[in-house]
Amino acid sequence: MFINWRLREINLKIVYYGPSLSGKTTSLQYIHSRTNPERRGELVSLKTREDRTLYFDYMQFEMGAISGLKPRFNIYTVPGQVYYRGTRKLVLKGVDGLVFVADSQIRRLHENVEAIKDLYEDLVELGFSPGELPIVLQCNKRDLPEIMPVQSIKEQLGLNGIPTFESVALEGIGVLDGLKSIVNSVVTKARGNIN
Amino acid sequence: MSKGLHIPEELLDKIEYILDHLAEKARTDCILLADISGQLISVQGFMEEGTPAIVAALAAGDVAAMAELSSRIGESDPHGSFFHEGETKSIYLHNISGSFILIVIFRTETPIGLVRLFAKRAVEQLVPLTKEFEQVMGPPKTYNPDEFSKGITQELEDTFPTN
Repeated sequence: MFINWRLREINLKIVYYGPSLSGKTTSLQYIHSRTNPERRGELVSLKTREDRTLYFDYMQFEMGAISGLKPRFNIYTVPGQVYYRGTRKLVLKGVDGLVFVADSQIRRLHENVEAIKDLYEDLVELGFSPGELPIVLQCNKRDLPEIMPVQSIKEQLGLNGIPTFESVALEGIGVLDGLKSIVNSVVTKARGNIN
Repeated sequence: MSKGLHIPEELLDKIEYILDHLAEKARTDCILLADISGQLISVQGFMEEGTPAIVAALAAGDVAAMAELSSRIGESDPHGSFFHEGETKSIYLHNISGSFILIVIFRTETPIGLVRLFAKRAVEQLVPLTKEFEQVMGPPKTYNPDEFSKGITQELEDTFPTN
């Protein structure tokens, strides 16, 4: 969180995290397409030649002033592939809230579990306490066959009790619900820190 | 973990004075100051192309990657700098204490040595100021926490309008 009292702006950082090909970039592309054009910045993607996320995807959107403060959100995705762990940790610096995008397919369970383990290890190394950060679970690819029940995904990932949304990112289903939830959680936490 | 970064106005005045001086001496087009996570703090000058917020986010990624690369060869300088030379414009990045980034955009007619010299002097002046950033200042008089939380719901509807 960064507050600029002169401009009356509060800057908040949200990161979409999850295993490779779980739908993080697709979610961000949908969010960008649905954001009021007057309130959004450009969508930036640093990709490999194979069109996979190399470093991160990034967009910014802002809201109107509320109670004298203008919220501005910086949204990032991380590259999901195992060997980009170092990059993921760098993108997590200064994060205010997380959306964990899980791949609902049964055969991707292992990748989901490895990703959440990496996430927690990185957060601890960055100085966060467990449970300190607002987090939302987005169970993606709910339209595919052979998917796990949402409750099983939550249990396997140790994410019981956190807000959870079923999504089909390619069609935009459930994506904005997850984003709005994390925005509300982040703002609630930021509100406590401003006081 | 820090509660976040709060920058009071008087500190911003001092920062802008330093950036203005750097711009004048080094004949730069645009200077940005960002924190290490990519949050834009201050802009001096004008970017003909591009958006300062995006440049800050990308520079943070670049600096973080370069710091990691340096550590892999046994270097751990928290004030490392590097630059990209373009055909008409170049970018100079300077890591400030591992917490902030100075981003200088200048035309290729301007010698890199000049930019490097005055940027280093600016960083020396910025280091003590950036240490004061964590100081928490009071919220604006208009700020009402309940109103702020309630207002978000309406603002979300305006930001993501239903078709």
